[in-house]
Amino acid sequence: MLSRHADSAFWIGRYIERAEATARMIDVHYHYGLESPLVGETLRWSSILAISDTEKKYRDRYKTLDERNIIHFFAFDQDNPSSIASSINFARENARSIRDAISSEMWQTVNKWYLGMRSWNVDTVLKVSPHSFFTWVKNESHLFQGITNRTLMMGETRDFHDAGRFLERADQSARILDVKYHDLLPSFTKQTAIADDEPIGVGGTVDDHGWLAVLKSVGAFEMFRKTYHEGVTAGRVAEFLILNPKFPASVRHSIGRVDGCLKRISSSNDSSPRNRAERSVGKLYQELNYMSADEIIGDGLHEFLDQVQNRCTEIGEDIRECYLRI
Amino acid sequence: MNLAKPSGLFECFQQDGFFDEMIGLNGEPRSFCRQLFETLNAMSPDDFRARCELADLTLMNQGITFTVYGHEAGIEKPFPVDLVPRVIPASEWTQLEKGLTQRVQALNLFLHDVYHEGKILTDGVIPRELVVNAPNYRREFVGANPPGGIYIHICGTDLIRDGDGTYRVLEDNCRTPSGVSYMLENRIILMRVFPSLFRENSVRPIDDYTSILLANLRSIKPSRVETPTVVVLTPGVYNSAYFEHCFLAQQMGVELVEGRDLFVEDNYVFMKTTSGPKRVDVIYRRVDDDFLDPLVFRQESALGVPGLVNAYRAGNVSIANGIGTGVADDKVIYSYVPDMIKYYLDEDAIIPSVETYLPWREDHKQHVLTNLDKLVVKATNESGGYGMLIGPQATRTEIEEFRDKILADPRGYIAQPLISLSRSPCFVEDHFEGRHVDLRPYILCGLDGVKIVPGGLTRVAMRKGSYVVNSSQGGGSKDTWVLGSSPMVQEQRMGDMVQRQVLDA
Repeated sequence: MLSRHADSAFWIGRYIERAEATARMIDVHYHYGLESPLVGETLRWSSILAISDTEKKYRDRYKTLDERNIIHFFAFDQDNPSSIASSINFARENARSIRDAISSEMWQTVNKWYLGMRSWNVDTVLKVSPHSFFTWVKNESHLFQGITNRTLMMGETRDFHDAGRFLERADQSARILDVKYHDLLPSFTKQTAIADDEPIGVGGTVDDHGWLAVLKSVGAFEMFRKTYHEGVTAGRVAEFLILNPKFPASVRHSIGRVDGCLKRISSSNDSSPRNRAERSVGKLYQELNYMSADEIIGDGLHEFLDQVQNRCTEIGEDIRECYLRI
Repeated sequence: MNLAKPSGLFECFQQDGFFDEMIGLNGEPRSFCRQLFETLNAMSPDDFRARCELADLTLMNQGITFTVYGHEAGIEKPFPVDLVPRVIPASEWTQLEKGLTQRVQALNLFLHDVYHEGKILTDGVIPRELVVNAPNYRREFVGANPPGGIYIHICGTDLIRDGDGTYRVLEDNCRTPSGVSYMLENRIILMRVFPSLFRENSVRPIDDYTSILLANLRSIKPSRVETPTVVVLTPGVYNSAYFEHCFLAQQMGVELVEGRDLFVEDNYVFMKTTSGPKRVDVIYRRVDDDFLDPLVFRQESALGVPGLVNAYRAGNVSIANGIGTGVADDKVIYSYVPDMIKYYLDEDAIIPSVETYLPWREDHKQHVLTNLDKLVVKATNESGGYGMLIGPQATRTEIEEFRDKILADPRGYIAQPLISLSRSPCFVEDHFEGRHVDLRPYILCGLDGVKIVPGGLTRVAMRKGSYVVNSSQGGGSKDTWVLGSSPMVQEQRMGDMVQRQVLDA
């Protein structure tokens, strides 16, 4: 296939995943705030900015940190390249540029999604219910995935699309875990935002809610419960989101999917990598396969997650270098 | 029943002295579309409007839109489609088909001739200077031999009907005619929102257009190739016809490429793929000559492929339409097409042209200059309705402006009488009104002859009284029906079962 088409398919996968991930994240944090009034609004929203690495951009554009501004920034702000609106725009522009290579139904779905965004703005979201907006975004993403699964050939276009989608997912899962870990492990610097007489730190009420929010924001809560019956702890959440081989948003599963896509693209079925991209993905995947949660936490969860995010970036560059350079 | 004043959506229909495609001078529907007339007339405005909305929604969702500028962010609107079909009876179509075939054959012979011996010029049928000085005459291609001697593979010839209903050729589009996707989409949309109309009328199908196009493109492959790789070359996503380029590539199942996806090595053309370079044998290009190859034409063009022209001249890649076809649709050359037909085919033109005056001819110049307020003046190498003066509707200043332009460059202009284009009923608010239309059939030439799918794009001047049908100037379109001549058998398949229905013409 044309390199340009592969590039667009890869980015459609990434942007649509990003739109969905952003919707999930804001949705959960919005409702997390309603249930946990003890966590100050500022703390709640500043961790979101940290997750998405957009704090500076936000501060440049908005004076106050409140739900209205946050929803505008993450859902509708065209100047925020990772907002839902921007992600859908970019996905649509990419889909438009390869309309001939994807199915008409795929194009129409993303186009309808884009057109549907026009009937929402921050006022309607706050008035109708933020949850119904975020659900709509998630559902559109799933509609696109479903139609893609059903109509796109089991070939390279699909593999590049899936590679983009799962690489983005691995990155988002690592990111959300990393930031919440910062917030929730004993970091008394955050004290100002928490009422004085409330417990702080590992095992406290705030923590439980916090970890539940992490799980919910990647759609993992129910599956986590089925997997662990003992309760929510940082170690278990990390193990589930990083290493669980069956949870579809775990870093391990996502990287495994990217690995599979690249192998199909180069039709290699043995374990020797054919190029740099395959090597960097395969290496990360094997490490995740053989790693234990204790090791990760022992060596420092943050350091590990930071490394995972950097390696996701590298993988993206390697894929580009090997296949997508136009 | 008095049909002249029916109650219904046609109740207030006025012909205003124009030739109407559906309704005769006596106010009665023409015999071949009586059934259609009755069905449409009996509809309620709400029902009709609901179908229009459904059609608009379908267009929006498919992204068949154009962008309205002037707002902060461009607002996209669906391309205007009117849901009343334009109907052509079988006998009329037969004539048109013959006339168009004859015309495109003559044009291809003309191109071959002027890029080789130039006999028609030597014999003085067409003045040599007109051809060799035409801006779109490509000297670089003298002697080049495209497969089968075909230069024009896809021709979009614009037809109009004058006050008494005579079809005339208004112009030929021999370079990169567009609009065929709208012809095909209009049909799909009409079938979706108005299925009953098709059950009641025997409309000839047009959906084999892309199959014929693909077969033709494959047929012009360089001779050394067994199974050719065909691509569609587009200027890119910002081109106004981008939707069409995608649509055609998708329907033919070939790659849609941009200039940057291609490169030339050793006079062969390759595309950049994820598994390395892949050779390209046939290019259906939707990029103008000027932008095709920066080494030969415009150097600043980023849309083209450096070296493409040499690969073409070496016979390693075929290009449709061929390079240099613009000399055949030059508006001055247009006036000589009947002479070409006579010269090459020894036949009279079946479809007449519009009377044309050429200011560069001393015997026409004075007539043009003294009648500017009655004539339509067109720049010979503009399209899309630009560079035009409609004398009867122009202001004094505009007329004087054109007078100066013509005097400065007589070869650059032609003049024609204003033809009162025929009209076709269109839905306006809650009833039908006549709007001016033209017709662009798409003529396909391949190694095994000329084929025309029965139909074409009917363009509509949506604004009341307007004659300008170009989409860039507020024009819309409608589905065009060519009716079957004999009872048609329609087959419906469901697995192994076949249902046959005999339909009356």
